[in-house]
Amino acid sequence: MSAPARFDEIVHAPNRLQICAILSAVSSADFGIVREALGVADSVLSKHIRVLHEAGYVDVHKSTCASRVRTSMSMTPAGRAAYDGHLSALQAIVGNEGFRPGARRGDGLALSPGQEGTPVSA
Amino acid sequence: MESHDGPGHPAAEVASGEAASAMSAVSASRSWLADRVIAPGWFHLAFGLLAGGAIAEAEIRNWALFGWSVAAYTAGCCALSWWNQRRVGLTMQYFDCRTRAVFAGHVVTLSGLIAVACWAGLDRGIHGAFLAAGALAVPLTVVSGRWTDKLLRARLRTRR
Repeated sequence: MSAPARFDEIVHAPNRLQICAILSAVSSADFGIVREALGVADSVLSKHIRVLHEAGYVDVHKSTCASRVRTSMSMTPAGRAAYDGHLSALQAIVGNEGFRPGARRGDGLALSPGQEGTPVSA
Repeated sequence: MESHDGPGHPAAEVASGEAASAMSAVSASRSWLADRVIAPGWFHLAFGLLAGGAIAEAEIRNWALFGWSVAAYTAGCCALSWWNQRRVGLTMQYFDCRTRAVFAGHVVTLSGLIAVACWAGLDRGIHGAFLAAGALAVPLTVVSGRWTDKLLRARLRTRR
């Protein structure tokens, strides 16, 4: 069953979308693995993780093993819901050849009162 | 959950092309993840050798030694699983209904193999029954492990 479509700007940023794609499939992932997947520097990944963490989408865990700090991340239920909703919104957009998020009626997408659905010209 | 169409994002107009490329980035990440969990070629063989060794060892008919071999099998399986988790850098739910069915089938097959070996070796006095069962357990374990990996990869690629 697909989640209700809900476009989420926090999730939509390319690197954060990839982080969510990885974390949503696993229970937790090491910082290094996610960095390797994205091919970005530690600082860039840290920035994106902080944004997701502050939104309540990602939990960060630190543990010490053999005097080395190991950082791992997991997605919160709220993060999973936001990610699933965002994917549904993306699928709806692809199906509808473009829209203004929050403005198009129907298709289960989030609606903003008073706005008209406006297809975006390609 | 609120959506976050904040003021920093100019009307957040999203064209289908952009959405499609975002979806494709998600697929690429999932594929990368699926490839990441591929176990090395020797990994399932090691599990098979542990299982086969524990079964074949019963041929000696020394039950204290057999107990130790079962303990070694358990410790070996735990060590391999721990190592693989460290290598992959992920913790995940390995078992869903499909992989659980493969695992259950494997356990039932090995149990049947051991039962036949016990009947042949202990009841009928046939020499080499446990050795044969142990030798058969190795490829069975490898096939089961690779099948589980295949299902896991497919799940990672297709799951949202």
